[in-house]
Formats: sequence, structure tokens, C-alpha cells
Amino acid sequence: MRLTRLTAIFYVTGLLFGSLTSFGQEGDAVTFEMKLSKEKLGINERLRVEFAMNKDGDNFNPPTFDGFRVVMGPSQSISSSWISGKRSFSKSYSYILKPTAQGNFTIGQATIEINGETYKTLPRKVRITAAVDNPNAPKTADDVADESLHLVAQVSKGNPYLNEAVTVVYKLYISSNISVTNFRPLDSPKYNNFWSQDIPVTKYNTVNEDYNGKPYRSVILKRVVLYPQKAGKLDIEPLSLELYVDVPTNRRDFFGSRIYQQANKTVSAGKRTLNVVPLPEEGKPLGFGGAVGQFDFKVTTSKTDLNASESLQTKVEVSGKGNLKLFQLPEPELPSALEVYEPEFDENVRTTIAGMQGKVANNYTIVPSFRGRYPIPSISFSYFDPKSKSYQTLRSDEITINVMEGPADNAEATSGPIGGQKITVPTGRQFHFIKTQSNLVSISSRHFFGSQKFYWWLFAPLVFIPLILFIRKKKQESDADIEGNRLKMANRLARKYLSAAKKQLNNPDGFYVALEKALHNYLKAKLKIETSEFSKEKIIGLLNEKSVDESTTSDFIELLKSCEMARYSPITKVQMNEDYQKSSQVISKMDKQL
Amino acid sequence: MRRKSIFIVVCLLLCFKGFGQSEVLFQKATEAYNKGDYKKAINFYNDILKNGKHSSELYFNLGNCHYKLDEIGPSIYYYEKALLLEPNDREIKNNLDFAQNMRLDAIDEMPKTAMTRLHDTVVLALTPDQWGHLAVAMIVLFVLGFITYYVLYSATYKRIAFIAANATLFIAIFSVVMGYMGSGDQNSKNPAIIFEREVVITSEPNDRSEKVFALHEGTKVNVLESLEDWSKIKIADGQTGWMPSRGLKVLKDF
Repeated sequence: MRLTRLTAIFYVTGLLFGSLTSFGQEGDAVTFEMKLSKEKLGINERLRVEFAMNKDGDNFNPPTFDGFRVVMGPSQSISSSWISGKRSFSKSYSYILKPTAQGNFTIGQATIEINGETYKTLPRKVRITAAVDNPNAPKTADDVADESLHLVAQVSKGNPYLNEAVTVVYKLYISSNISVTNFRPLDSPKYNNFWSQDIPVTKYNTVNEDYNGKPYRSVILKRVVLYPQKAGKLDIEPLSLELYVDVPTNRRDFFGSRIYQQANKTVSAGKRTLNVVPLPEEGKPLGFGGAVGQFDFKVTTSKTDLNASESLQTKVEVSGKGNLKLFQLPEPELPSALEVYEPEFDENVRTTIAGMQGKVANNYTIVPSFRGRYPIPSISFSYFDPKSKSYQTLRSDEITINVMEGPADNAEATSGPIGGQKITVPTGRQFHFIKTQSNLVSISSRHFFGSQKFYWWLFAPLVFIPLILFIRKKKQESDADIEGNRLKMANRLARKYLSAAKKQLNNPDGFYVALEKALHNYLKAKLKIETSEFSKEKIIGLLNEKSVDESTTSDFIELLKSCEMARYSPITKVQMNEDYQKSSQVISKMDKQL
Repeated sequence: MRRKSIFIVVCLLLCFKGFGQSEVLFQKATEAYNKGDYKKAINFYNDILKNGKHSSELYFNLGNCHYKLDEIGPSIYYYEKALLLEPNDREIKNNLDFAQNMRLDAIDEMPKTAMTRLHDTVVLALTPDQWGHLAVAMIVLFVLGFITYYVLYSATYKRIAFIAANATLFIAIFSVVMGYMGSGDQNSKNPAIIFEREVVITSEPNDRSEKVFALHEGTKVNVLESLEDWSKIKIADGQTGWMPSRGLKVLKDF
């Protein structure tokens, strides 16, 4: 109905301007295409197929409509118009087809000869479904909206490295014939296994863009920066939107303008899969903390010379572009004697469509308690640069903190001044100067303990004990033998006093003289008396005085008498011997009593 | 023949010179140290060591030089060495504390039981050599006391001598026991100092095994055993593990 009216208009215009202008579109490209009323239809519906060309041709050859039965056609229509001096021409052959079975069917190629050349249409696929309720109904607003709305997720990189920034931009393509009044996100996608940051879209700018070769208007609805946290195939959940659209209908209102129909559409961007490449194991530095990007690294201290119990700040800072929020800052290795407080995290990171950039820093407050030098060794920071596809390691400078004044150790730190008036001498220990005197010994000198020398010294003195014991025992034995002792004593005394007499044993005169002399000598030595005072009575008196017993005294006197007698009477040798023995016994007896 | 004798004379002269030279070098090193030329001082001290001479003072001074140069490992190493020769020197302990302040590792020592504390205070009061000398002196006194006891007649003197002899004998035996315990302790321990900035301690003596913990320069460890170029170590809090032998220096290596 509509078609016929249009054709009628074209014919009128054609008649009016046909003779005025020559064939203006002579040089334009020839098109020959197949148009389908629907791509999906129920078995009880009908399909309209139209083969349209913009130049007149001959020998039209329709395809075999396998799976369809031709209900009507071919019907031909030609329209030609001149608008602003341009001629437009179109000719079409149309068929009405009725599907014969369910399933997917392909409508093959039609051919035509235009200006001596053969043109072909592209084959199209048609899906035949089960019977529908309302066959041959015109396209609903939903169908139109379906065709003219496309939500697409554009991913900046399909196979990023682990922790490399990926941006996902959700774009809505809207066909020019419908208008979107409002939209509402149904389901915000959760980016599992990703660190995500949404970059809010403040203003929706429409841009004219082509999508699948057709002109569309496009709007960016959502932008997200993703940092994959896991290697392997990761899915990005689709974004679903509910859209309120106005779809033009074929009906017109009283004034001839189109009636728009409201439709409510849910669109979703297809599921996308990212293939996340793990960071190469080869050449991975030891202290790699997962940083990916381009960075700069430094460690600074607020001061290097200070007094004990003052504080200083050490800042470990990483700046640049990359996953700044997603890695651990390296920790400085500080001497254990320094008091270090929990670091204060400081970040200044902007997230743009290109990823994060800025700097992150850890501020350590350090309070040295004791005097000394504290070196802070250089620490390293490693990151993976996805551009050069290699690991980079940066090292900080070595810093030495010099604590000049203050106690040297705990013990001193706790002892404070006790008396108020007393000026306490600071007891803080200082670092001692080297020793100026040394008693250098040979390195090979051995330990004394456990050496042979040690054992000799330890046991040699003990040998003296049995030695002394032995000597002592011998002495005691000899002390205990009384009879032997007496004999020994007598012998000794006899040797002392009677040795002269003994020599004279063969000569009686000489013997008795010597004996008498010996006895007198003995008394002289023992009683301390002079020779001139010797008389028997005096000797008896003296001996009595010294309490020498009677028998010994009488024996002594007897001996003296026999000495006197021997001067006048002959004495036998036997008698002489007897007297000698007797005298030695008397002397020994007397010696004990004196 | 004549040449040979000259050679011997020269050798002898060199020997005597060497003997006096060490003291001269020691003085030179002291001067260099006082001027702040620590590297030169270290060279002088090393020359003395090459001459085969050492002393606790020499090691102490070497420790001081390395401390001034911020070399944590060597400075602790030489202080510990000085302490091995002179275990109760306060100055060495003091400067060792300073050097240990530079160290990165803070290892909590295993808590000591009352018994081990007692053992330490008694046994380590004297070095084994000092215990040895004490024992010898006490044995001599004991023998003298015993003889006096035996020789004297007076009951009072005898009693005194007897008690003195017994006491000295007891002290002598005690000293020998302490000396044995002390030297046993010393022999069972093989302390070493870590020289590398950071070493990873692994559970097995190979590169594949699991990392147990890390130690830093200047930490004292006890070497338990060695396998190829790996050493099994034990640290003060009782943890053990393996580390490459090149990362440490044994203290008893005189």
C-alpha cells in the first residue's frame, strides 16, 4: 500500500524531470543486493525477499528458494527520481515466500546482468522457528529496538600481562531512527580476579560512528581500568542496561507526523575473555613484589646527624606509572638497635584511562635511643616493564645515620640523677679507643688446660705425699724399737767416750787409764764439774742429787774402784772385757736418768 | 760453604728483626689509627698476623678500625675473636655492643634456665686455662698442707692444717671439673660471623630447598656441621638451617 503510493510519486516526478537532465548517476557504483523482511520467523509466517538494484539490468535469475515455497512473485517495481538534478533509480524483484520446514535455511545467490556484467547477491541465512501466535504481524517496537541498539565492550588489550592495566570502555550504539530517553544499569559487573577502578563518565557525548558498516550514534557509558590479578583466561562479566527507547511506528497521527511507541529494552555487552599472560619466570629478581609498569625509586631521610631520642623520617618512595596501589613497597632494613614505628602510608595516585600514575610512599619514623653509627643499607626495588618485556631493578643509596649524643646502652639510659643538688657525672659509655700496649704471642701457642704440661703440674706434687708418708713411717718404726734403741744409744755413747779405751783392750795398764779418763770425761760433760774435785764421795753425792738410782751409782763407783785396783794388781783379759761392757751399760743407763 | 753460613746468619737476623718488628708495626698502627687512617692501620695489623703473632688487643684494635669504616661484619668478627682470647674484658664487650647496634638482625636469645645461668656464671667466671692454673696452685697448697698436718705434733696446728689441706684439695678438684666443662663448652661450639649482606637460610644444603629465614651481616651463628660448601648453622634463638659456607667466617680460625 505504502509502496504503491511511493512509486506513484516517483512516476510523477520522473515524468516531470526525466527529459531535463541527462543520466546523472551514470558513473556511480552498481549495487545489487538482497533484502529480507525478517531473519527469524515462525513456520506459519511469510517472508518477503526483495532483490534491489540501482541500475536497470537484464537476465534476472532468482535463486532456488530451498525450504520455501513461492507464494507470490516475482513482482517488479521500478522507481526513478530526479532530486536537485540528480537521478536516482531503483528496480526490484520481490517474492513472498512461505517456509516449508523448521530450521536454518540459506537463500542463495541471485544474478543479473547490468551493462554487460554479471552481479550476484550475497547469500543470507534465515531461521525458521516454531509457529508463532500472531503470524504476519508487522515488526514490533521491540524488534526494531533490538536491531537498532548495540552495547559493546571495547577492551584495550586482549592478552595483557599480569598486573598490566587494561581499559574496558562500554559503548552504546544507537541507530539514527530511534531515540533513547533513559537508561538504568541493571547489573554492575563484578570484576572477579581483577583490581578495578571505575572512571566515571560525567557527560554523555554522542559521536557519529560506523558500526558493522552502518552509521550509528555512539555514547560512552562506562569506563573501567582493570588490573588482572591472576594469570590465565579471565572472563569479564557482561554489563546489562535497561533502556527506555522511542521507536517510530508506521502509524501517523492526525497531523501526519509519526507516532512513536515506547519500548523497554535490556541490552548487554557480550562476555569478554582476557587471556592474561603470567610474568616471565626467567630473570625474575629475588625481591620482586609484583610491580608492573614504569617506576622510579628512592629512599631519603630527613636528617643524618642527630642526637639520641630525637626523631627522623625515612621515606621509601616509588613514583611512576603502573599498578601503584597493588604492590608492597620494599621495607628498609634498619639496624635492630633503632626504634622504628609503623610506617605511615602516603599515596598520591591518579587513575586515568591509561592506568594509575603518581607516587606511593612509606614514611618511617625512627627514634635512635643510643649513641653510635647506624648504616641503612641500600635496598632494591624490582618491577616488570611490560613495554620492554623485562624486569628492572633499582637500588637506593646507602645512608648512615650518625647519633652523636646520648646514652650508649639501656643500663645507662635508665639511671637518672638521684640527688637534686648533686651534679651527676654522666655515666654513658663511650666507644673505647684502641689499646696501645699489647703482649703479642705466637698464634700457634696452645691452651694450657688439657695440655701435657698441665697434667704434669697437676699430678707431680701428689707424688710427694707417699714419699713423705714413707719417710715418716720409717722413722716411726725405728722409734718404736726400744731394745734396739738402747743398744744403739749405748753404742753411740761408748763410741763417744770409750773409743780410746777400746783401742787399749790388749794393754791392761793403758786400758784402765783410758777407762777412768773416759768415765771422768763423761761425768764432766754431763754434770759440768772440774777434774780436780773428783772424789768418790763427791760423785755419789752429785749423782744422788741428780736422783740417779742406787744400783747405777754403785756400778759406776765399782767401775772406778776396779780402775784403781788394776794399777796395782794384774788383770785378766776376760775381766778387762767385762769391765768394758759394764762401763758402756752404766753410761747408757746413767744417760737416761740424767 | 761460606755463602751458606752467611745465609744462615741473615736468616737469624731476619728472625730477630721479625720479633721486634711486630711491636714496631703495632705502634705504627696505633699512630695511623689516631690520625684517622684506618685502612693503613688494618694493613699494619694484618702484617703482624702474617708474622704469626696475635693478641686480644690486636683483634680489639682491628675491630675498632672496621667499626670506624662502617664494616659491620669484620668489626664484630674481630671483637668476638678478641673476646675468645680475653673473655672477661669490659672494653671489648663495650665496643662489641656498639658494633652490634649496627647489625640488622634482632634475634631473641633462648631463655636460660636457672641451671644454665648458674652454670654460665660459675664455669665462665674463668677461662679453662685460668681454671687450670688455679687447680695446679691448689694441688701444691694441698700437698704442703698435708705434709704440715703429718709433721706437726700440736693438735691445734694439726687440725688447722687438715682443714686447709681438705679445702685446697676440694678447690683443686672443683677447678679441674670447671676447666673441663669450660673447655668442653668451647670445643662443642664453633661460632662464626656472617660476612655477606644477606644470606638466605634454607632447610637443605642445596639451592632448590625451601627458604627458612634470612640473616644479615654481623650476626653470630654456631656452625654445627658442614657438607661440601654448605654449613649447618644454629642461631641464638635455637633455629637451624643450611647456608653457603662462603657467607660466614669461623671465629676459631686462628
